[in-house]
Amino acid sequence: MLRSLLRRLNLADGRWALPCFLAVWSFLVIAPLVVLIVFSFFQTQFFMTVYKPSFYTWNDLFSSGRFEVTLRALRIALTVTVIDLAIGFPFALWLAKGKASRTVQAMTLALLTIPFFIDLSSRIIVWRPILDEHGLINSFLRATHLASSPQRWMLYTEWPVHFAMVISYFPMMVLPIYLAMNIIDDTLIAACQDLGGSPFRVLRDIILPLSLPGILGGIVFTLGSALGAWVEPTMLGGGFVDVLSNSITSAYSALRVPMVAALSTFVIVLLIALLCLLALAMRRFVRLGEVFRSMKP
Amino acid sequence: MKDRFSTHTQLELSRRDMLKGVLGTAALAATAGIAPEAKAAASTTVRAYGVTTAQLTDWSLMTKSIGIKMAFTGSNNDVGVYMQAVMQSGLGNSEDIFIFEGGTQNILGPHGVYLPIDVHQKELTLWSRTPDEWKHSGVVMGSDGKQWGTPVIGNADSFGYVADKIGVNPNGQDDVSWGMLLDSDKTRGRAAFDQTWNYSLPSAALYLQASGKAKIANPADPTREEARAVVDFLVARKKAGQFRTLENSFEQQVQLLTNREVDIINCWEPAAREANKKLGPNAICYAYTVEGYYKWGHGAYVAAQAAKRGNLDNIYKVLNYFMDGEYRAYQARDRGYAGPNMDLGVAYAEAHNWSADQIAELKATQVKVDRKFKKPFVSTTTPSHADAIEDEWQRFLNA
Repeated sequence: MLRSLLRRLNLADGRWALPCFLAVWSFLVIAPLVVLIVFSFFQTQFFMTVYKPSFYTWNDLFSSGRFEVTLRALRIALTVTVIDLAIGFPFALWLAKGKASRTVQAMTLALLTIPFFIDLSSRIIVWRPILDEHGLINSFLRATHLASSPQRWMLYTEWPVHFAMVISYFPMMVLPIYLAMNIIDDTLIAACQDLGGSPFRVLRDIILPLSLPGILGGIVFTLGSALGAWVEPTMLGGGFVDVLSNSITSAYSALRVPMVAALSTFVIVLLIALLCLLALAMRRFVRLGEVFRSMKP
Repeated sequence: MKDRFSTHTQLELSRRDMLKGVLGTAALAATAGIAPEAKAAASTTVRAYGVTTAQLTDWSLMTKSIGIKMAFTGSNNDVGVYMQAVMQSGLGNSEDIFIFEGGTQNILGPHGVYLPIDVHQKELTLWSRTPDEWKHSGVVMGSDGKQWGTPVIGNADSFGYVADKIGVNPNGQDDVSWGMLLDSDKTRGRAAFDQTWNYSLPSAALYLQASGKAKIANPADPTREEARAVVDFLVARKKAGQFRTLENSFEQQVQLLTNREVDIINCWEPAAREANKKLGPNAICYAYTVEGYYKWGHGAYVAAQAAKRGNLDNIYKVLNYFMDGEYRAYQARDRGYAGPNMDLGVAYAEAHNWSADQIAELKATQVKVDRKFKKPFVSTTTPSHADAIEDEWQRFLNA
């Protein structure tokens, strides 16, 4: 009887998957987003949300210059993503297709995943005594007469924030690229080489297109995490690197939920604009819809 | 808007939810045949929700003294989170007492979340001998002039400094101006300022008011224009390189002091204490100031729903206990916090054979608090223009 019911519902052909996914996704993600956008048109007065639509909060967001935190957060996140991609891609290539033995590969992968098991705050806070005025590096520089005065830019500026974020999000970039590269069939590379293809040709025509899903995954994971980063800017930025998360926490401490909503909406708008720009710029080289075709069985 | 409450506010909405909840509970109680009040009256447990610093390390001391058990739930220190929890979760249905930094009574009092204090309640025996600066301060009195709370603990916050670096008496007894932290070449690049809008902006406002650099009526509750003037000044100082860093946690305050990264910092008094444990006595002095202090206090407020639970006597016994010697002595010894009736704390310590050092320290706390509390200003967690102040503070952070 169950079988006949299932047959009648025709579950086997998978046509139900998309509507199901859309329904769940709309409920879990889209609906809260709509609530968020609606809230940004209310305002807070004396710790109370006043449910009367106006542009008051949006006006505040721009007149106080607060929107700058979103631009700063985006700038730092993009810089970190680009640096991680620049280091992560060759690293993943070496790990997946280099001459490293199985043991070295396994050990490197294990090392890359270790950070996921240690609390981020404890990993970041150890940099403070290393980078501060009387810290390890400054003591070394002075002892070796490489610097006569303490290098104060090493802490409580944007430099250490970038530095720590590049380290924090490196595994986010490397692991997806590695996974994509690892499944590239070696015979394809060998065939390309047999036909006289230079290493550059192999990279451009075989490795790059086939690892594109991993690269995109790495970019999304790194950019997303970096955009919401608060540990590194808070602990190493010394309050001078005001990013999105700090601004949201501060607004929430005055119960300014509409401001939190407006800030978040503004970031979503920026991200959509950025993705559109990216798609336009890459239109000549890749068609986003076809990126994952290599994954098809 | 003429009347800020003319449209629906979240409190009205949550109160409707609460009414629904209350009706539901009443129906449930009726069917079960048990009145909730009767059950509470028999109980000697008082339930409190509030900041963890108000806790005794060992509540059994209180049980021994006044026969009441304490069920304490710690709340977040953030006023936004606290008020959200109290308002929207209807915590008054389960909790008897709320303990939080002063200010929330101005919102939660008039809106019926807190019960006005009956200062003639028979269990509030210490009320008449409690000094006005504690029992009538902005921590426990509403801006509407009503008594919404009773005092619990408090302190007068200023800044910690290294005496020889700023050229003052190393015994820490000099009155030092807030200008030394904010506006002096002696400390340029060697000062740390707290990153939180409601902790830092009022102190800067106090300095500008006292030095005549800006017209500010009440440093604790500046208007949008006043906040703008304060932030303009702070932005100029930030650009001049006055601040080494804007710190944001107790742990960082201690680290900045012990690493000698800064010479002056607006921090909590326990941070200076903690640093001195490593650096030696009086290495860091916690300032007496020229202009005044960020005086804060925790008030105890009674939940409106508690009125019908029949355990008001027990609740008032606890409120009275917060003003008594035992609580005072232990809070001062274990946390370094002052509070009303410090003399009772000293008397308690003497009667219970505390060491001479501990008694001397309690006396010193009393002298210090008496000296500091003579100067302005009492802080509030809920300034009337919080949204404008918070916005202006973001301008400072972004500059």
